[in-house]
Amino acid sequence: MAEKTTIARPYAKAVFALAREQRKLDAWLNALALAATVVMHARVAPLLTNPRATAADLADLVNEIAGGELEVKGKDFFKVLATNRRLGYLPEIAAIFAHLKAESEKSVDVTVTSAVELSADQQKKLAAAVEKRLARTVRLHTKLDPALIGGAVLRADDLVIDGSLKGRLDRLENELTG
Amino acid sequence: MAIKASEISDLIKSRIEKFQSTTEARNVGTVVTVTDGICRVHGLADARYGEMLEFPGNTFGLALNLEQDSVGAVVLGEYKHISEGDTVKTTNRILEVPVGPELLGRVVDALGQPLDGKGPIKASKQSPIERVAPGVVHRKSVSQPVQTGYKAVDSMVPIGRGQRELIIGDRQTGKTALAIDTIINQKGSGVKCIYVAIGQKQSSISNVVRKLEENGAMAHTIVVAASASVPASMQYIAPYSGCTMGEYFMDQGEDALIIYDDLTKQAWAYRQISLLLKRPPGREAYPGDVFYLHSRLLERSARVNEEYVEKTTGGKVKGKTGSLTGLPIIETQAGDVTAFVPTNVISITDGQIFLETDLFNAGIRPAMNAGISVSRVGGAAQTDIIKRLGGGIRLALAQYRELAAFSQFASDLDEATRKQIDRGQRVTEVMKQKQYAPLSVAEMALSIYAVNNGYMDKTERNKVVAFEAALLAFAGSDHAASIKSINEKPVLKEHEATLKKICEAFVATGAY
Repeated sequence: MAEKTTIARPYAKAVFALAREQRKLDAWLNALALAATVVMHARVAPLLTNPRATAADLADLVNEIAGGELEVKGKDFFKVLATNRRLGYLPEIAAIFAHLKAESEKSVDVTVTSAVELSADQQKKLAAAVEKRLARTVRLHTKLDPALIGGAVLRADDLVIDGSLKGRLDRLENELTG
Repeated sequence: MAIKASEISDLIKSRIEKFQSTTEARNVGTVVTVTDGICRVHGLADARYGEMLEFPGNTFGLALNLEQDSVGAVVLGEYKHISEGDTVKTTNRILEVPVGPELLGRVVDALGQPLDGKGPIKASKQSPIERVAPGVVHRKSVSQPVQTGYKAVDSMVPIGRGQRELIIGDRQTGKTALAIDTIINQKGSGVKCIYVAIGQKQSSISNVVRKLEENGAMAHTIVVAASASVPASMQYIAPYSGCTMGEYFMDQGEDALIIYDDLTKQAWAYRQISLLLKRPPGREAYPGDVFYLHSRLLERSARVNEEYVEKTTGGKVKGKTGSLTGLPIIETQAGDVTAFVPTNVISITDGQIFLETDLFNAGIRPAMNAGISVSRVGGAAQTDIIKRLGGGIRLALAQYRELAAFSQFASDLDEATRKQIDRGQRVTEVMKQKQYAPLSVAEMALSIYAVNNGYMDKTERNKVVAFEAALLAFAGSDHAASIKSINEKPVLKEHEATLKKICEAFVATGAY
């Protein structure tokens, strides 16, 4: 996994720079996400490693489905990937691209896992608090996990704020046994 | 340790009360691979170099490789329960071990946890295992001796407090024996000892502990054990843990002695970790920083001045210097001192004691090669009496070595040459000493004086050891007061006449 992102990063950075020049970040994000789904498809994936499928064929395949909104340069990008046999890295490229985009827009995806369904008011309050702490605009996603017993766990990239009852009990257990 | 059930619930209650239940915000990552004690963790963007990482199941690790998307960490202890996908948290702490006088007399692992079944260690202080060595302005030159109790070492390669003296030799040449005897001889001298066993057999470690206990040396000793069966990570950090425990005494204005037995095995453990972390291998497959691995450890052995001690203790201890003497041990393969790790450590230390298989097998024990063993700074710390008498020993042995090879071919030698050879043989005999039989300064001085001044010249070569033993016994019984006064003030000028008197009286008895 770590090695895959290492290979994907230069591509993602290049394509991000290109998209920013063209001011088409959203179009690119959609196209990359779509292309990633294409190459992950159960029937497409084996083709990528098939020696009989030429680079041009594969590039055309991806372009036909995902390259709609993009100009010539976009189509060229998939061609470059195909000739370098890196189409399989599209999911990672898309992920890094999304990350770079969020970084440049100073926004962040936050997942809130809670024991009970959060009301709209609660969500708003949480989002505001997280926005203040991270100094970013927040896109809030909610998840439900009754195993937490009470409270909620916030996750923004690598940062986890654990305010759940289960987390506290775990720590208490550690304290008593450790 | 009998505890009533009600006491247990009280204990738990108090701990729950102390437990601070706050919401925690932490940086987390996911375990991607686990290979031989090395974990690759994805995420953990905020992890810092050398930071402790928390794995599930109360296991901790050390972040050693910070890469673009992942962190390479080494797990301290068992790693079998860690699996792919586990969550790893940062702790914002660096590795610390308990320090203090409470550790004396105990056997602990590389994390300072007790291994001897004598209950928990109630140390009040913790200290990080990696520390920067005292700087130039805080240091003082070596001026007090560490007595090993060995005639050969104390007379020819003296060790001073705060010095680093390497003990190097093949397997089975008495390296550990020399170190253990040095610990035993510190009894009553106020020097605290730390014995760090790295990659040794459990049986060897328990032997050492038993011998120390039998000789009453455990009371001033801490044993840090990272045996061959513990993970490489523990063997890698054990010397640093031991050093931290020793530094505590140095900082308190006391004297401490630390023995790393042996650093070759630590280098092996570090090599294993580095290769598994995919760091590029260099000479002998060691990583690039294997020199720094040992240099930063041995630099922490130092003698610090009064101001430093006053500063670290917050003014509680005034006018006292502290020291941490280091005795690293290196095991060579077939006497090859030009291998990577031996050359490194030789260049870092302030001298070395070479132990050789040939000498050991010839019955010369300690099997020290006097020609190539040196101490670069210990001379300044030697007691006056041994320093003045020891000069003759070195000279006699050097001349003997030169002539011994030559005399094998020549059958008839002139009088002067034969005398030198005879003297050399007797000095070699006198330098022999049994294990667990350390000598005091006065006893050493008496033996050396007797051989230097020809009192043993008429004794058969194979009777020299018996002569010496009888001489020391005689001095101990009939001249105990003189011996005591020499030990109290070891200056040759004042006692030369006494030594002469004892020797003459002994020869007159003819009791050998």
